[in-house]
Amino acid sequence: MLRFLARRTLGALVIILLISAITFFLFFALPSEPALMSCGKNCTADSLAVINKNLGLDRPVPVQYWHYMAGIFTGRDFSAGHCPAPCFGYSFANQQPVWDTIVDRFPTTLSIALGGATVFLVVGVGVGMLAAAFRGTWIDKLFSSLALLGNALQIYFVGVVALAVLVSGLHWMDNPAYYPITEDPVKWFTGMLIPWLVLSVIFIASYSRMTRSLMIEQLSEDHVRTARAKGLGRSAVFFRYAWRGALAPIVTIFGIDLGSLFSGAIITEFTFSLHGLGRLAVSSVTGTDLPMLMAVMLVGCTAIVLANIVVDAAYALIDPRVRLA
Amino acid sequence: MTAFLSVRDLSVRFATEDGVVRAVDGLSFDVERGRTLGIVGESGSGKSVTNLSVLGLHDRRTTEIEGRILLDGQDLTTAPESVLEKLRGNRMAMIFQDSLTALSPYYTVGRQIAEPFRKHTGASRREARLRAVEMLEKVGIPNAALRVDDYPHQFSGGMRQRAMIAMALVCDPELLIADEPTTALDVTVQAQILDLLKDLQQQTGSAIVLITHDLGVVAGTADDVLVMYAGRAVERGTAREVLRSPRHPYTWGLLGSMARLTSPVDEPLTPIPGSPPSLLDPPPGCPFHPRCAYVARVGGDRCRTERPELPEGRGAACHLPDGAGKGRTR
Amino acid sequence: MSPTSRFRKDRARLTTVALAAGAVVLSACSSGGGGGGDGGKSQGPGEDKTTSANYSIGTKADSTGPAPEVPGAKKGGTVGVLQRDAFNHLDPGQIYYIDVLTNQLLYNRTLTSYKIDDKGRVKVVGDLATDAGTASDGGKTWTFTLKDGLKFEDGSPITAKDVRWGIERLYASYQSDGPLYIPQWLSGDGNDFRKALPDGPYDGKHLPPSVLDTPDDKTIVFHFRQPHADAPFATAMPNVAPVKAEKDTKQKYDNAPFSSGPYKVGDYKVGKSLTLVRNEHWDAKTDPIRHQYADKFDISFGHQYADSTRRFLADQGSDKNTLSFSNAVAPEMTEKVLNQPDTKARRLLEVQPYVDYISFNTDRLKDVRVRKALALAMPNGQILQQNGGATAGVIATNFLSPAMDGYRPSDPFGKKAKPAGDPEKAKELLKEAGKLGQEIVYAYANTDVQQKVSVVVTQALERAGFKVQKKEVDSNTWRTAIADVKNKFDIYRTSWGADWPVSSTVVPPLYDGRQIADGAQNYGHLDNPEVNADIDRITAIPDVKRAAPEWQKLADRILTDDVPGVPVFYNRQFSLWGSGLGGIKYHPVYGSVDPTGVYVK
Repeated sequence: MLRFLARRTLGALVIILLISAITFFLFFALPSEPALMSCGKNCTADSLAVINKNLGLDRPVPVQYWHYMAGIFTGRDFSAGHCPAPCFGYSFANQQPVWDTIVDRFPTTLSIALGGATVFLVVGVGVGMLAAAFRGTWIDKLFSSLALLGNALQIYFVGVVALAVLVSGLHWMDNPAYYPITEDPVKWFTGMLIPWLVLSVIFIASYSRMTRSLMIEQLSEDHVRTARAKGLGRSAVFFRYAWRGALAPIVTIFGIDLGSLFSGAIITEFTFSLHGLGRLAVSSVTGTDLPMLMAVMLVGCTAIVLANIVVDAAYALIDPRVRLA
Repeated sequence: MTAFLSVRDLSVRFATEDGVVRAVDGLSFDVERGRTLGIVGESGSGKSVTNLSVLGLHDRRTTEIEGRILLDGQDLTTAPESVLEKLRGNRMAMIFQDSLTALSPYYTVGRQIAEPFRKHTGASRREARLRAVEMLEKVGIPNAALRVDDYPHQFSGGMRQRAMIAMALVCDPELLIADEPTTALDVTVQAQILDLLKDLQQQTGSAIVLITHDLGVVAGTADDVLVMYAGRAVERGTAREVLRSPRHPYTWGLLGSMARLTSPVDEPLTPIPGSPPSLLDPPPGCPFHPRCAYVARVGGDRCRTERPELPEGRGAACHLPDGAGKGRTR
Repeated sequence: MSPTSRFRKDRARLTTVALAAGAVVLSACSSGGGGGGDGGKSQGPGEDKTTSANYSIGTKADSTGPAPEVPGAKKGGTVGVLQRDAFNHLDPGQIYYIDVLTNQLLYNRTLTSYKIDDKGRVKVVGDLATDAGTASDGGKTWTFTLKDGLKFEDGSPITAKDVRWGIERLYASYQSDGPLYIPQWLSGDGNDFRKALPDGPYDGKHLPPSVLDTPDDKTIVFHFRQPHADAPFATAMPNVAPVKAEKDTKQKYDNAPFSSGPYKVGDYKVGKSLTLVRNEHWDAKTDPIRHQYADKFDISFGHQYADSTRRFLADQGSDKNTLSFSNAVAPEMTEKVLNQPDTKARRLLEVQPYVDYISFNTDRLKDVRVRKALALAMPNGQILQQNGGATAGVIATNFLSPAMDGYRPSDPFGKKAKPAGDPEKAKELLKEAGKLGQEIVYAYANTDVQQKVSVVVTQALERAGFKVQKKEVDSNTWRTAIADVKNKFDIYRTSWGADWPVSSTVVPPLYDGRQIADGAQNYGHLDNPEVNADIDRITAIPDVKRAAPEWQKLADRILTDDVPGVPVFYNRQFSLWGSGLGGIKYHPVYGSVDPTGVYVK
């Protein structure tokens, strides 16, 4: 297991490094002029050159890349002062230390992701299992049609409707907002509730459909039939045998979804005016803010790659064939 | 007095997307305690379906069962699920064909063996584990006390099949249904497994139903034989009778396509030409007539229009006069 | 304020949309977003109070505080502010765009400033200075005297040296984002001025008194290289403000500017929120413009127009006491806002000093009749429709915005009567010129709105007998592409916003042939010696009020005779706020909601 983790971590580092390089060089390959963002009105070639020098953009791209990556581990010195490791530089857009911004935004993203994921995992899988258990009955049909409906919905639509109804219409809740859980757990919960529910809607649909079909598939497996032939009761067969078989694929998909949620839920953040990594990703792209873009990419990639490692580890725990192979 | 397991006029129909399949049609047979019935037929002949319905493991939403299945006088077709649950794995147990898929990959062999024991006897976890070790020893797994904590994928195919037998026998069932228990195994392991089954039967005196498509398996193991074709029984008799003097052209075909160790190696196998009929739309008359070489010998349209009945006791469902097939006798 | 600000908006939206793969929420985030559903109406709901803003230079009395009380105003409470984009700067030296211009009014006092009365009339008055300045030496020297009792947020006095420091730090190379009129007027055009004080005042050097003089703590004297009659407007820019040397942390000053106004920075989470709290050392008696009614301003960023509009419409809880400096009403909610009667008293729809043009490249289109035909054929109404319709703008009839001093509604191409263009007349002109079927290379940025605009423009021009060759340009390189003097395009969209309501900030940069350069704003490449001479003549008029009608005359002449482009529409600001706020007015110079008199009811 340890060797497995070590091997995977090494592979992950290589992937992250590759993606960082691709991002960095692609940024310069694509048409973009970061200096234009801080060049005011009569922006001439002269003023652009001044800004490019200030931003360090006048150096060869590989050198810039080296400085950037090295800064993450050793820190860097800028005209505005020393930037201690992990140093992702200063934002082109607002001259803030990138790392501070990431650290500030991450709790929001974490809250959105964990809360939303809990809701959609519990409800989605629960609904799917119910539908599978009552396959062909009205329960199954009701859930299946709801899932279809949920699948057709889009976050921004559900989000806008939820806000219009729950907040503006019925005044049941306040406008969603992020409060640190460490300061006020109740406000944190109520502030995030609508984003969680809305984010979940689409996931619930797909998780319930996935769970239902996995459970139905598992229920027709030979070893589930064996379990019945042994005289085990319906619920023991359902939960001990069929569910156990359905677990691995659900965990896999969940890991991937959670990983990508950790790198930011763009539409959710925009719909509910939250400040997470998703918004940061968008603004760094639109603002041609390379240091920020790199940091967001690196954090996002790390989250996804980590999620993959965790999924693999979980897979091994779930399936002895993987663990003991 | 009826036999320990008595199946009477069993019909099994299930709905598929293409229509209703008559998987079993008017089947009757008996098995006594301490005896072994071999049910023989090609795949799709209805032999597995029959036995799944004995245990009540068929899909209740799509399957319709008529007739009676009596276990020690109790009708299983009308018994509620709770009663069946108490019988399954306890008084009647089943061994499945493919031990790799039939055992759950997620639990240890020991746990899977112990599970029905705990359920049916109320034994403690410890007692059940000891029983699992005991059963593994009984079916000939070396180092059983260690291997009990292995997962199925850590066992070889033969060992897995032994483990499955151990699991089926853990509650000393009075009826054991073995569905192609040796098909997936190589020939030497096959023989070991069959010997094991025989040994265990001698110890417990249980009734065994052995389902196979291989008359060779039947030859060494079964006391009685039932040959099935297209959901119907076409020949019945003792193993000796059916193997020595088969009366149905289908049985002849099966025997002809059986590779025997005694045959000269250069003798080609002579399989039955054609394939089994669709059970969605079985042919009229004798279901075997499209593949039968003796339709002309019977004469006229009889085979095509009139369904031959299987008499009680020794006999075959065929319009050929008895002894017409003497030439095939071995 | 500048083409860059408009450009920034479009570009931000495009990439965002691309990223979010068609999320409606995101595409609705620009005032120029979806196509509002007003049909062919060219005139809006007609709320413009300030279309012909009345500008004047205020007297010493006008410059004396305190500002006239807002009727019904109360002290206390918190004003919420919802903004879409995070502020890019708090450092007054770097401020140029509409949102931060408006925001700095609360914590940053300038030498002069704009005093807006309840009828929307604007006076340029002394803010830190006792009046709008005194010119001498033919308008080359300007002298300002500071008021008594001016204090920074720590209670220390504001002196002329602090104002000098504020100006001298603009010479440092990191100061690149703000307007640079004063340093350029003092020390040199373009980036040359920086050579006069390469690292700003940081290593103890200062501009010589012959350039910028502070003979005593109360007096500051500017010695410009040329006469500048509109100096009082230039000194109203946010970077002509006091910066206390000990508090100047260079780049970091952007997070913690040292206040001279009624509010100071309380808590600033860059990119997320800003809280401004009362500055106890601000003295109302010295300030002719600002009030200090509310206890604080809670400004938060990241509110798409749909979100802010929804909150204002619902008008619930703390949203009641909420406004936005520059968020427009979301286009898809325009109808709802106009139809909801209670919004009547808490909304404004006003013309901004921004104009959208289609520029004609006179280097390539040499025949003026072709350019006239283009101007005639241009479908101003449909283009405006694609930009959001009547609440996003008004059809433009000439080069100068109604928000400019001396504006006259001349209409040489009959755009009021024919908002869809006049293809027949255009065709006639083309025929006459023998240029029927003239090929036009039409460049446009690949943004959602501009792509839609390109469709209506192409149709209209082809109807008039042109052959249009469309050239889509990546929005990231758009500005560089069209600002290239040797560009290979015939027509392209440009825009301009005046930095102050005097047309000396419009006509010279756009139409002075001597200002043609890569990156400069004369996109039509017009170089007419007569026009150039006239520009010099009007610039030399020492009285801005007398110059104003002359600028309008010149702009009309350029449009009629030279046709280096055609004005398309004047931008409009459509704002809504919560019912719990009072004292809100429109800032016609910035084109935004003026927060200086806001109170919580």
